[in-house]
Amino acid sequence: MSTNNVTIYLKAEQNIEMQTPEVCVKDIATLTCADSHVLAKAKSLKLWTFQEGECKRQVISMLKVIAEIEKACPGVSVENLGETDVLVEWISVDRHKGFAQWCKLAFVALISFFGTAFTIMAFHNDIGINEVFSKLYEMVTGYRGDGYGILELSYSVGLAVGIIVFFNHIGGRRITKDPTPIEVEMRVYEKDVNQALIATADREGKTIDVS
Amino acid sequence: MFLKQCLLAVIGGSAGLIVSAGVFTVLISVGLIPRFAGKMHVAKKVFVLEEMVIFGTLFGCFFSVFGEWGMIGRMVRTHAVFGAATEGVWNFVGTLIQIVFGLFAGIFVGCLALAIAEMLNTIPIFARRIGFRHGLGIAMLAVALGKLMGSIIYFTQRVFL
Repeated sequence: MSTNNVTIYLKAEQNIEMQTPEVCVKDIATLTCADSHVLAKAKSLKLWTFQEGECKRQVISMLKVIAEIEKACPGVSVENLGETDVLVEWISVDRHKGFAQWCKLAFVALISFFGTAFTIMAFHNDIGINEVFSKLYEMVTGYRGDGYGILELSYSVGLAVGIIVFFNHIGGRRITKDPTPIEVEMRVYEKDVNQALIATADREGKTIDVS
Repeated sequence: MFLKQCLLAVIGGSAGLIVSAGVFTVLISVGLIPRFAGKMHVAKKVFVLEEMVIFGTLFGCFFSVFGEWGMIGRMVRTHAVFGAATEGVWNFVGTLIQIVFGLFAGIFVGCLALAIAEMLNTIPIFARRIGFRHGLGIAMLAVALGKLMGSIIYFTQRVFL
């Protein structure tokens, strides 16, 4: 079997969630190779096995992966096109379902609801919105206003339209296909967390790396 | 009169649009909701949270702009919605609403205050300047207790008057 001049291309992901404790090369990266035999061999190489009760988060350096592949298939050259460090998390299958999950969602939803309600009320109180509106009403109409009118109503409608356009959806339906600002911010946050975890593991020397 | 009403409508509508953009840019840029979702592992349901942000704001807007119409307690009492037991029932329900609103609004504001402080990188910069390495947890606990203390003093000593 000649494996000379065969190249394996790897594209590693930054963050992987595992359902099973055994981490293979094919779990953390997508691979391609002209030689299907070499490809199959490389895909099934075992990198790490999570133990019960131990840290459920592990950073694997791609150098380690390359070293493993080179050891298993001598003469093959390996090219990595993706990330240089991979964060692997082991998640038990049923942890993300059920009543506890529902409670957490309800908790966060309540914070979001009452928190933003309070924020906008405090903001209106800060700027003294009712005084501003009665002054505006007097300026435009020449009369002192009594009670609430078109100004307050259109302000509220404007606020609603502004938020809905800003967040890009209403009642679970998207207005355009763009991701919403919170979805964008969510991805940015996840990426930052992954990078911080990788950097911490590296600093503490806990990365699985070639020594 | 009609033209004046039209002008008022245009003023109100534009004010609402710009205010919502301004307020929500701040809320988004401190990244509070993604952090809640990330901590609680409900990132898949982030849509629900956004809906809650929208409805929460509209709710707050109604009660602060149309303050007189939002006097639910007075309305319930004058119309005696629960019959003879109105006073007792409403005392209980009112307290419950206060607890729920106060607790969740408090959590939100507490997170918001620290998130804004963190956005300005005050804590990492200060820690680096004074060569602070261990006991970050104690420092954070001190910050939380300080906020609690400040809040209690504010309300009991009536600093706002």
